[in-house]
Amino acid sequence: MPRWLRLTIVVAIAALVMVLVLAFRRAPTDIRTGTVGKPSVAMNVTRLEGGDLTFGGRTDKVVVVNFFASWCVPCKEENPALVRVYERYRASDVVFVGVLYQDSPENGLKYIHDNGVTWPTGIDTDGRIAFSYGVFGIPETYFIGADGVIAGRHIGPIDETTLVNGIESLRAKAQK
Amino acid sequence: MTRSRLLIVVALLAVLAAVSWSARPRAETPAERVDRITSELRCVVCQGLSVKDSPSESARQMRDIVAQRVAEGRTDDQIRDEFRASYGDWVVLSPPLASWTGLVWLVPIVALLAGLAVAWRRLRAPPSTLPEPAPAEVAALRERVAREEALDVVADTP
Amino acid sequence: MSWADFGSGALRAALPVAIWGCGAAIYAASKRDGRALASARWSALLALVLVVLAVLAMEGALVSHDFTIQYVAENNARATPLFFTVISLWAALAGSILLWTLVLAGATAYVAWRGTRELPRLGTTALAVLLGMVSFFLLLVTTPAADPFVRIDPPLDGNGPNPLLQNHPLMALHPPLLYLGYVLFSVPFAYAIASLVLGEGGDRWLVATRRFALVSWGLLGVGIVAGSWWSYAVLGWGGYWAWDPVENAAIMPWLVATAYLHSVMVEEKRRLLRSWNLSLVIATFALTILGTFLTRSGVVNSVHSFTQSAIGPLLLGYLVVILVLSVGLLLWRLPMLSDRGGVGAPLSREAIFLFQNVVFVAATLTVLLGTLYPIIAEAISGQQLSIGRPYFDRVEVPLALALLFLMGIGPQLPWHGAPRATLERQFTVPIVAAAGGALVAVLAGINGAFAVLTYALAAFVAATVVQEFARGMRARQVLHGEGRATALANLLRRSGRRYGGYIVHLGIVVIAVAVATSQAGTVQLEKTISTGQSAQVGPYTVTLTALRDATEPQRDLLVADLSVTGNGANEQLHPALVFYPNSTQAVGSPGIAAGARDDIYTILAAYDSRAHAWATIRVLVIPLVSWLWLGGLVVGIGAVIAALPQPKRRTVAERVAPLAVGTSAK
Repeated sequence: MPRWLRLTIVVAIAALVMVLVLAFRRAPTDIRTGTVGKPSVAMNVTRLEGGDLTFGGRTDKVVVVNFFASWCVPCKEENPALVRVYERYRASDVVFVGVLYQDSPENGLKYIHDNGVTWPTGIDTDGRIAFSYGVFGIPETYFIGADGVIAGRHIGPIDETTLVNGIESLRAKAQK
Repeated sequence: MTRSRLLIVVALLAVLAAVSWSARPRAETPAERVDRITSELRCVVCQGLSVKDSPSESARQMRDIVAQRVAEGRTDDQIRDEFRASYGDWVVLSPPLASWTGLVWLVPIVALLAGLAVAWRRLRAPPSTLPEPAPAEVAALRERVAREEALDVVADTP
Repeated sequence: MSWADFGSGALRAALPVAIWGCGAAIYAASKRDGRALASARWSALLALVLVVLAVLAMEGALVSHDFTIQYVAENNARATPLFFTVISLWAALAGSILLWTLVLAGATAYVAWRGTRELPRLGTTALAVLLGMVSFFLLLVTTPAADPFVRIDPPLDGNGPNPLLQNHPLMALHPPLLYLGYVLFSVPFAYAIASLVLGEGGDRWLVATRRFALVSWGLLGVGIVAGSWWSYAVLGWGGYWAWDPVENAAIMPWLVATAYLHSVMVEEKRRLLRSWNLSLVIATFALTILGTFLTRSGVVNSVHSFTQSAIGPLLLGYLVVILVLSVGLLLWRLPMLSDRGGVGAPLSREAIFLFQNVVFVAATLTVLLGTLYPIIAEAISGQQLSIGRPYFDRVEVPLALALLFLMGIGPQLPWHGAPRATLERQFTVPIVAAAGGALVAVLAGINGAFAVLTYALAAFVAATVVQEFARGMRARQVLHGEGRATALANLLRRSGRRYGGYIVHLGIVVIAVAVATSQAGTVQLEKTISTGQSAQVGPYTVTLTALRDATEPQRDLLVADLSVTGNGANEQLHPALVFYPNSTQAVGSPGIAAGARDDIYTILAAYDSRAHAWATIRVLVIPLVSWLWLGGLVVGIGAVIAALPQPKRRTVAERVAPLAVGTSAK
């Protein structure tokens, strides 16, 4: 067997091993969305409690969008944190919006009444809103800056610290 | 032409005709177009299934979106780009030809052709790098093999 | 003494025994020491006994719901039925590794008792390699990474097995078959390494392990088909193969093993391709380890979705050691393995086998590249991309068709090649059959060039197989005066390898036709209908008769009662959404009516939770998919026939006697 072929085989095997070692560096559940850093689009939804609600786009206000559903156990778990942070920023111009994802309006209404969700919530009837934000599953929370750009998102149940940090950093940017 | 040769030619032509007939270009219905596009998009809540195959609710909503966009007259690329804007390149199930990742299409073809070339060369005798042994050497080697085979027992102990 | 004490004690005792045995075998082989060999043999046997005890301990713990053991608490619950309790031995990582260790210990004990007597020095060296492997796996099951007997504070009730794993009895078959297939390949590998270490340039290692390789290949193949069937019946998306990384992990070694089974024949007949065969064995074995690594390490996301565990680095280390040692040994011994002479004429059996090998290896490399590419891309550029069905289908289907073609011409060509006229005679009927196959496809309305080509090639191969059987039977009828049935039976008995192989080819043909037809001809409909309404799918009418709740001992269901009529069918199907107590999401359970022509596959996708007035159902009419499982069965039967030991040859006198008496040739 010619020397170059031997070398190729050795290099190929070494490369394979390196690839597999490198594979450990990534967590297979870490999937980055394409919408972070992109401008959000103004969307109109039907509110759970009746009426309309518009959010997104350039509003000069910091917006927190939280996707949830009544059948989602981690959503229930993260809810107290959302409630606390909402109370904290109620007097300010930070906007909280909840979006009901793949659920019926009746179940959604019951959920928000049972869990003390007082911020405006809308229904994503056909999945268009979730699609435009790039939602993989729930709960997911998106942070939109005053310039209307989706500044960040959090997959999974969110905690108070992450919420506050996200909001504060966007408010600081808006001040400048 | 002998009878069997004629039969072979006719049969091969028939196969060719049948394959060409089934490969004839047919107008794609909108539903077929939706199927084709969704078969190349990845269902975001499943493990590797396409939007077309997945029975999940998210996939159904996405099929609706694709159907709506097809009805609105968008091109395949526009629809795919919309999905990529929301979910990143990850949502497309096969890498596009025109990019670095397009290499992945080239490798199998190259491997196959290279392998066939090497195999073809092996059909002929490779240049012998070992000299033919002399008869005396052959006899000595035979004797050595016989001796070693006689020793090839590891003594059994019950 | 608790189950955990018993089991973990047995495993911890087995580890030093295996290590001792390995050392003893090495000593026995190098110094030809009989006592060391006996010590090694007994170590292998003792290790097996201890592992069996550990497995029994785990089963005992499972059956008695001993939740002090973490594995039992995570994979078993009080309400789990006995059948699924017993098979949850392989429901998760630690138990699977334990099962692997059991099979490996069994194979090692077999080699210790038979192999070392048949070929003493080679067998003993192979035993050393195998005991080394057993030691590694015992190490795995005694470290926290994969220790099945880790203890915890017992919860009141266990989690129960993953809902997907208690849906179908096939879970009893698929993992054990797959593991048997994987692990038994260790034996040819061990013999190959032994042959390289000892510097034997010959083929003894290959001949000694031929049957092991065939059996292992057959079990792996049937295991893959069983997994496909499980995926189809349980996962509820209507397909049977998704090029999921774990599916790929299983098929890669199988593809290379198939190449090996064929090129082995070239080595036996012509004493060629020795270094190639060694490479194939090493590659097959390395791929089984790679496959296990991919499945278990959490490095790729897949249907099996095992959680990431510390076992990844250990398996990777094992793989690296194996590759470095075996490739190093091969490259070292390469000079003594070079072939004398060329393979032969292009139109000879050996040449066709060579081309077939190239195609199989190209197919395997493609699957490997497609599976690993997302990892490579992300490691290099941080970019996340997917490689899924569109890629694999597009590359693998043409390769599969090429293989079908080669499968038809290979067996028909003699060794060393044949003149043009012979070929014409032999191939006329098969080529005409190919035209017939293509015609059948077109008339049956099968869409797509690949499907029609598949039918043509399938008919081609089938015709060559029938031709071979006819020729063989005719020869026996003339030479031995046997009747047709006896001739056939004797063909299978005496030339089992060859004719069993032909039956395997027929099985592959059936599978090819099933795959082509089901892919090209599936009709699908998704519709929301109210109770009492119907929908039309192809020739069938599906009516939603009721949407109801149902309760079973360990799960709640939401069932859609569907009535399917039309085209001669009259079926009641019950696709459902299943709610398990410990899981938030419902698991879909399909309602399937299997038929010789079509399978009617129904899925309950969504439903009216308030009044049970409507449901969204998905109906697929999948033609010929049941033939897939039938094809798998035929492949299995063929492999069994090929693997059976041949009856002893009668002496010349015995064979001549009946002819002398003057029987009339039929």
